[in-house]
Amino acid sequence: MEYLKFTPELANDWKNALSSSEPYLFKRVMDSMNQSQLESKLWIIQELIKLEIKPKRVAILAGWYAQYIVPLLYDNFESLEFVENYEIDQDVKRLSYKFNKRLKEDKKYRITIRNVMFDKIQEGWHPVHKLGMDTIINCACEHMYPMWKFRELNKTIQKNPLYILQSSNDEQHEDHINCVNSEEELIDQARIKDVMYSGSKILSNKSTRFMVIGR
Amino acid sequence: MNNIILCVKWGDKYGREYVEKLKQQCEENCSVPFNFYCLTDNPTEPYDIPIPTTWDSHENGKFWAYRKLYMFKESQLDITGKNFLYLDLDVIIHQDLKYFFELTMDKPWIVRGWWNDIEVCKKNFSKFKSTPINSSIIRWNSNQLIESYNHIEKNIDTIFFTYPTIDNYLNHFFYDMYEDKSFFNVFPVGDVYSWYKGNVFPDDMEAKKIRKGCKVCLFNNSGETNDVEELKSLWNI
Repeated sequence: MEYLKFTPELANDWKNALSSSEPYLFKRVMDSMNQSQLESKLWIIQELIKLEIKPKRVAILAGWYAQYIVPLLYDNFESLEFVENYEIDQDVKRLSYKFNKRLKEDKKYRITIRNVMFDKIQEGWHPVHKLGMDTIINCACEHMYPMWKFRELNKTIQKNPLYILQSSNDEQHEDHINCVNSEEELIDQARIKDVMYSGSKILSNKSTRFMVIGR
Repeated sequence: MNNIILCVKWGDKYGREYVEKLKQQCEENCSVPFNFYCLTDNPTEPYDIPIPTTWDSHENGKFWAYRKLYMFKESQLDITGKNFLYLDLDVIIHQDLKYFFELTMDKPWIVRGWWNDIEVCKKNFSKFKSTPINSSIIRWNSNQLIESYNHIEKNIDTIFFTYPTIDNYLNHFFYDMYEDKSFFNVFPVGDVYSWYKGNVFPDDMEAKKIRKGCKVCLFNNSGETNDVEELKSLWNI
């Protein structure tokens, strides 16, 4: 998959999202839509397809507006039933639902305000929570404490999910509190034992992005 | 004595004269009885209390910011009292501190930096900067902050790793910019202002201006190298 299916329906959802963004958020929304953002999400899809993974219930950690990853997942995996995005930024919620309007209305996408390094995911009411998530995607590992903590927190409610993790060596941003210099470092941080894929990629913004897929 | 005024002096940014000056300001500007204590790593005076060291082993470069939160569990300090008022060393008191001891204490109180543009605070929430609250002044009664203390104890490495300042941490867990359901009450507009940032956004933002109509002036986040000397020069205004 080298592209996002920008259908008329998706165009309409995105137009509504962008036109309803508060002015003070607009630059952040634009940052979330840059070339590197799309490159890194397409990379996930490409590797999952190669590995013949068929995700059903996906938790996205710190997924921001999730305007790329959610439609990409649904367009490429017929197996997919539900995606839940766990975010800490309350301002993200309304716009993320606008970007993913049809999936939200079909009850296929939900966003929950939660700090995943402090509280377990899936302690809620949703029927999917009882089944557990089979796939955990975190494209923002550089923004948070090492992922072993998340695994520890959720070990009683998750049944050995697949982890798809991305991080960066780009230390120029204050909120990049946990950059790594190699995919091995990311593997160590998340205590991944069964590595199905690991690699790095220089993105259009010149930073190196690392990705690990495994359990 | 039920009323306690606390400060914290750790390290060498501020000399002993800052504690003495704060104590003097309190004595000159508080019409209700109180005891003054300084939590410090170098106790030399009768009012000094040794600062605990239980979190020192978690030092990671950001821990310096968290030392004053030892006071959130006041039962571990050798202090008898019920009504606590914490003041940073770098403040100028303009009005009677009795005001802080007469607040309704359904919840603890903290500074809301009314000089901040709340849209900037919201925009930067997940970037760990531009916090709307400021811990330079905190007012609480016994045990009101123990929830926060216990939360830190439980998540100590994650918190010290993630949040560069106390204000950032408290903003993420104990304050809500969107709804009036916060753990803390915030001091109303006009009580506390910032020497370097102003008073109320957007209308009263002149920096480096004394406002004696407010109760306390903070010298927060100056980013200037001479801030300590600048504060000293204002002690006798």
